[in-house]
Amino acid sequence: MIRSLKTGFTIAGLATSFYVAATASAHHAFAAEFDRDSPVQLTGTVTEMRWANPHAWIYIDVEGEDGSLVNWALETRAANNLIRLGWRPADVPVGAVLVIEGFRARNGSPTASIATVTFEDGRKLFAGPPDGPSQQ
Amino acid sequence: MVESIVETTGTSVFVRPLILLALVAGSVSAQTLPRTADGRPDLQGIWRAANRASYDLEGHVARYDMPAGHSVVDGGSIPYQPWAAERKHANFVSRATADPFASCYLPGVPRVMSLEFPFQIFQTDEHIAITFEWQQTYRLIYTNGEPAMYAGIESWMGNSRGRWEDDVLVVEVTDQNDRTWLDAAGNFHSNAMRVTERYRLRDANTIDYEATIEDPDVFTRPWTMRLVFTRQTHLDRLLEYQCQAVKEEASGAFERDERTWYPAPIPVENEPFDFEAGADVPLPETPSDILRLADGTPDISGFFMADAGGANYGLEPRERQPLLPASRGQIIDPADGVLPYQDWARAERIDREMPYRGYDDPTAHCFVGGVPRSHYVPAPFFILQPPGYVVVLHERMSWRQIALDGRDHLPDHMRLWQGSSVGRWEGDSLIVESRNFNGKSWLNEVGDVVSHMQTVVESFTPVSPTQIIYRATMTDPIPYTRPWTMEMPFNRDNQELLEVACLEDNNDLQHLKDVRDEHRAMQN
Repeated sequence: MIRSLKTGFTIAGLATSFYVAATASAHHAFAAEFDRDSPVQLTGTVTEMRWANPHAWIYIDVEGEDGSLVNWALETRAANNLIRLGWRPADVPVGAVLVIEGFRARNGSPTASIATVTFEDGRKLFAGPPDGPSQQ
Repeated sequence: MVESIVETTGTSVFVRPLILLALVAGSVSAQTLPRTADGRPDLQGIWRAANRASYDLEGHVARYDMPAGHSVVDGGSIPYQPWAAERKHANFVSRATADPFASCYLPGVPRVMSLEFPFQIFQTDEHIAITFEWQQTYRLIYTNGEPAMYAGIESWMGNSRGRWEDDVLVVEVTDQNDRTWLDAAGNFHSNAMRVTERYRLRDANTIDYEATIEDPDVFTRPWTMRLVFTRQTHLDRLLEYQCQAVKEEASGAFERDERTWYPAPIPVENEPFDFEAGADVPLPETPSDILRLADGTPDISGFFMADAGGANYGLEPRERQPLLPASRGQIIDPADGVLPYQDWARAERIDREMPYRGYDDPTAHCFVGGVPRSHYVPAPFFILQPPGYVVVLHERMSWRQIALDGRDHLPDHMRLWQGSSVGRWEGDSLIVESRNFNGKSWLNEVGDVVSHMQTVVESFTPVSPTQIIYRATMTDPIPYTRPWTMEMPFNRDNQELLEVACLEDNNDLQHLKDVRDEHRAMQN
């Protein structure tokens, strides 16, 4: 489901959790591509994890209110950053169900920058120390 | 008499002295090969493949888009499996667009060795670095016998581990992805490919190179190709070929900035630039426990990550915002930590932070970071100290080579992204002066301004076995009113570099362009 967080979450609350992911923006201005006034929460099934630079992407199918599936592109840290945090491609298998909080792209496409990723069992992805060499 | 000798030895007396001479010449040549301090053949210098292998490894007559060339493959042709021969043919037919080079992707090994662009080899006890003019890519070959830290992680240039077998450098290259080609004719491989390279110094100006390709998914047997590298005795440094930048500037996708690009003039409305301003901040003290090379020079080599404190998000202090990390501020002069901008440049800096300007940041296009940004872009880097140089390999695929021989800078009209750098040791600090910049870089994501008139004086001062204090003093009379200095620590770590093949999946650029185009449409 897609849920606008304008009412459900405070921006300040998201900002704290987002810091860890946003330090990954080695490559381009996230605030230019994504809208800090458009936080979203998405629940969906992984269709692909693209292990790439300058940023890795998770693709999930999200069911809309009319029942149709929309494939969302969700931008994460650089692949190298994930590798140094100990993650490997197999950690985000196709078919896994994820809850994702993030900020939607300004161009209106089903694209978002990821703030947090939570697996069904409660594990969180990209939870790393806030400073140090692994933080690109 | 002569006849009897011929009968008994089977060799003419006229031929024998020649053989003897050749034997003597051969042994003399082996003894006089240039060698490094530890006795290895010295491969260092600028080289180039002397053949047409980059067009087509196999023998071919001239075509519209490629000159003729003889085969460099042992036996003449590549032993493809039947399905793979069909795929190779399809690649060949569609090569104008399907060649990964058309997208400026990294070339992989061995293709990168066969290019007509020059490359430079550097040697230390534990590593061999090869820097390439093409796209400023590089290879860091570990000859220290350590197992690979990230074995199994695929990349475009793969993982190179080297060893010496007598006087031959043998390099095993693994973990290459399946997206590179072996040449411009569509010869290809899978991600199962294993390449074994051999570098043999034939004489001071020639390297015999061979690469044996093993890929059971594509070929019917291992096969070997051979190249000859010729020393480029007329060159004293590599230049840049930033493939993607050149392409986007030609197409108009990356637009000229008339205020900062070479040869922009100093704006008439500028306040006069005060070259004398600026505190004379003494360099940090070096304690006795810093690492040193055998000759006593400070050892600043190895893997480093800047403790940049958010320099890539602003050089002046700023609070954290959603989607934009904080910066602690890195300016130590002026003392108030505020950049001494000209009024127009301050306004430009603020405008660059607007969403519609995100597209204009060169690093969003995957271009190189420039100096000093390459150090804090942020991505780690590896410093090597081969004889006569300090070489910096940036994980975000670029390099700087800093010559320590007191050479002149490039002629004034030769303008590069990374500039022209000349270094020297002052006490225990490495001092690097750089100029000849093109003015196309931004200092960070929020667009702190720099122009082609920038000169940078950097200092690298080791302050412990694991830390360097880095400073950069910028003198740039176009956007600023006086020189200013930034500072940050670089921390050494026991890690290996990975690869940032930035162009491989740069979906962001189209999004940023959409935002810019929408803004422009509203303006019109």
